[in-house]
Amino acid sequence: MLTDLSRLKNRLVAKFATRYLFFKNVLTSRYQPDESKDIPWTPVRKHLNDSVLAVVTTAGVHHRGQRPFDMTDPNGDPSFRAIDLRRPVTDLMITHDYYDHSDADRDINIVFPVERLREFEREGILGKLADIHYGFMGHILGSCIETLVNNTAPEVAERLKAAGIDAVLLTPA
Amino acid sequence: MVRRYTERVKPPRTVFLRWPFGHPLGEPFNLSQQRAVLAEAFKALYYIKQPGTIIDLPFKWRRQQYIDNGLDMLKNLKL
Repeated sequence: MLTDLSRLKNRLVAKFATRYLFFKNVLTSRYQPDESKDIPWTPVRKHLNDSVLAVVTTAGVHHRGQRPFDMTDPNGDPSFRAIDLRRPVTDLMITHDYYDHSDADRDINIVFPVERLREFEREGILGKLADIHYGFMGHILGSCIETLVNNTAPEVAERLKAAGIDAVLLTPA
Repeated sequence: MVRRYTERVKPPRTVFLRWPFGHPLGEPFNLSQQRAVLAEAFKALYYIKQPGTIIDLPFKWRRQQYIDNGLDMLKNLKL
């Protein structure tokens, strides 16, 4: 379990990695994600202005009042939060210690582009922006990877399918 | 945000930018930049035919002009 001091260290490292490319390269060179065995693929069958779009972000976005992502487990938190855009955008916040989200705290659109997508919907470029979107926290290691791959990510995929979503925009942090 | 990660995780379609962590759509309140990135992502949805393709976008982090996002062409695209 990470202490408050460990969490502070993580946030400081995140600030350096965000600000300095050299530091980002050093940090990321130490991690090798598992290689996917296959590539999920669905051909596009509808024009964008006929499609319903949802966003899935790993930037740690969630509503105020929802349980924040767990920052005390060094392996991260593989759970997700449903983001309901029928609630105000000002209701959204970010819990994520592994990138500097001070800019995203000021303008959520740089990780979760809800207002830009609403503009595209009004302009007739996008058919419909879904009501429900999903937020994950992207720092996931060890046993949490198995939970993500076998449980939480498939659950979100099923929910998106059940909701009739035609296309999903994935945004990393 | 890290191309090597994208190459290993293999999303079906990717537009890639060498921008700082925490800024996948760009700078705060830079609407034309955010719209331009989204436009390229939406175009990639239709233009990428090979699963796992990564398109490297040419946008500079700063001092970049974004004019026409070219999204109108999608309305007449043959599927």
